[in-house]
Amino acid sequence: MRDYIIRRVLGMIPLILIVMIVSFGIFSLVPNPFAALIENPRIKKSDIQRLIKAWGFDLPWYLRFFKWFSGVVRGDWGPSLLYPGSLARDIISRALPVTVRVMGLTFLVSLAIALPIGIISAVKQYSMTDYIVTVVSFLGMSMPTFWFGLMMMMLFSVVLKRPSGMPLLPAGGIITPGLEEAPFWAKLGDRAQYLVMPVFVLAFSSVGGWARYMRSSMLEVIRQDYIRTARAKGAPEHSVINKHALRNAMIPIVTLVALSLPGIVGGAAITETIFNIPGMGSLIIAAEIKSDYPTAMIGLMLVSILVIVFNLVADIVYAWVDPRIKYS
Amino acid sequence: MDNREILVDIKNLRTFFYTEDGVVPAVDGIDLTIHRGEVVGLVGESGCGKSVTALSIIRLIPNPPGKIIGGEIFFHGEDLLKKNAEEMRMIRGDKISMIFQEPMTSLNPVYTIGDQISEAITLHQKIDAVEAKKRTIEMLHLVGIPEPERRFSQYPHEMSGGMRQRVMIAMALSSNPDLLISDEATTALDVTIQAQILDLMRGLQKKLGMAILIITHNLAVVAEMAETISIAYAGKIVESASAREIFKSPHHPYTYGLLQSIPKFTEKKTNEPLPAIEGMVPSPYHMPKGCRFNPRCPFATEKCREEEPEILEFSPGHLVRCFHPIES
Repeated sequence: MRDYIIRRVLGMIPLILIVMIVSFGIFSLVPNPFAALIENPRIKKSDIQRLIKAWGFDLPWYLRFFKWFSGVVRGDWGPSLLYPGSLARDIISRALPVTVRVMGLTFLVSLAIALPIGIISAVKQYSMTDYIVTVVSFLGMSMPTFWFGLMMMMLFSVVLKRPSGMPLLPAGGIITPGLEEAPFWAKLGDRAQYLVMPVFVLAFSSVGGWARYMRSSMLEVIRQDYIRTARAKGAPEHSVINKHALRNAMIPIVTLVALSLPGIVGGAAITETIFNIPGMGSLIIAAEIKSDYPTAMIGLMLVSILVIVFNLVADIVYAWVDPRIKYS
Repeated sequence: MDNREILVDIKNLRTFFYTEDGVVPAVDGIDLTIHRGEVVGLVGESGCGKSVTALSIIRLIPNPPGKIIGGEIFFHGEDLLKKNAEEMRMIRGDKISMIFQEPMTSLNPVYTIGDQISEAITLHQKIDAVEAKKRTIEMLHLVGIPEPERRFSQYPHEMSGGMRQRVMIAMALSSNPDLLISDEATTALDVTIQAQILDLMRGLQKKLGMAILIITHNLAVVAEMAETISIAYAGKIVESASAREIFKSPHHPYTYGLLQSIPKFTEKKTNEPLPAIEGMVPSPYHMPKGCRFNPRCPFATEKCREEEPEILEFSPGHLVRCFHPIES
């Protein structure tokens, strides 16, 4: 097992390099962002030439890659094009915690709701509970977040007000201006109210999928012979479900969960835009549109590395929950 | 006749399945008596209701679609069909145990066999984990598994089919049941392993003295093991007698046909094809009127097509459900 992990980790290095080259290559297909400046009569041609040279856009993409890569190796990810004067690394490290907070919480909330209701609707297949869970699941999965987000905003920020006249929940943002230096608990409470709507909207759209996975995995397991064996030896129903069935039903779920964890740093661009959250999703898209390759590359690399790492994590956890899996 | 105490007395058991295509009378009036320490064979083709009878006894008929709609199953004089779920759970695996056809899938793949047997023990006996482990190893030893201490912490996938069936038997016998139901327990095994398992069961029966209900389609299996044999056809018992009687002088045309279709090695080699019972088992949705065997019966008369015969005592201890029993 240890050798296997070492081998897999070593194998990640060339993989990450390939991901870097390919994503950088695709990025260079975007037209040179400074070329458009030529149409602006107030900018001197020589200045444009200087900018193009400074950003390396005069070089073919692979040479530009080497220039960028030699910086990356030294820990220098380059300046941001989108926010002139800032380092790309700093831009990312401002957006990352915001996204991890929203997406991480969403992830926990949706799993905490989805797994139990998936189990219940499998155990009580075709019951009223099952039908309600199914309908609500599909409702959540099929409702676009931009619409549902706006409807939530209408209700909780426009229609419903506090006695003070303020909206019940803030319509967007992540913190009330002026509270940055407040005591810890006050700040926590303040941030929490900004999280309620985006987390609810995102969780509602993902609960359905998880619940369906859990339900079908559980249904598959509870008709197995060994479940009948467990009943035949007199195991009480809660032990049949929670001990004998659940551990088997969790095997595919664990893999799915591990593989979707990298999404936590990827952010959710649409929901972030609606709730005006300065997170990774909207940042990466903005960086891509503006050819800010230093910033976008950090985001892409972060997600790619996590995808690769969590693939390994999924395999390790898989072997841990299923004794039939052995790596050598 | 048999002056041993009656252990199980099934009277007019009726278990139906309510499917989308119609009602399946899988068990339609089965009577069966098992004395203390007696080995009873229940023989019939696929779909004759023998497994459903077994699952009805331990009340593990999947509901929906199955339902026990009538009859009584007396066990130690108490009707099992009147017990509530919890009382029934206490009986399963304690007083009545069952082993199943598929040893490959009847054990939970994610728990060690030691865990699974210990669980059966601690469910019914007030002993601690150390005692349970000791008892488990004793049981493994009893069913002839070599190196029981090492096997204790192995998973089912590390064992062969024959070994797994031994594990199932160890689990079933761990609480000293009064009745062991063996539902085609040797069918999925190789012939040599089959013989070993039958030997084991016979030996354990002598040693521990429990009654065994052997459910099989294989007459050779019951010939070796059973004292009494009941032949089931299309949800009803058609003939019931001591094993000797059944093999020596079958009275029901169906039993006769079954025995004729067994190749005999003592006879001279002929080029005659092996006799077979004409026709097919009736579709459960369209049971024939009158005697259920009449479409395939060479002796069927008008009466057989109109009226359903009662099961009657042909000679002492030999019951036959036929208007025209074969005189030997």
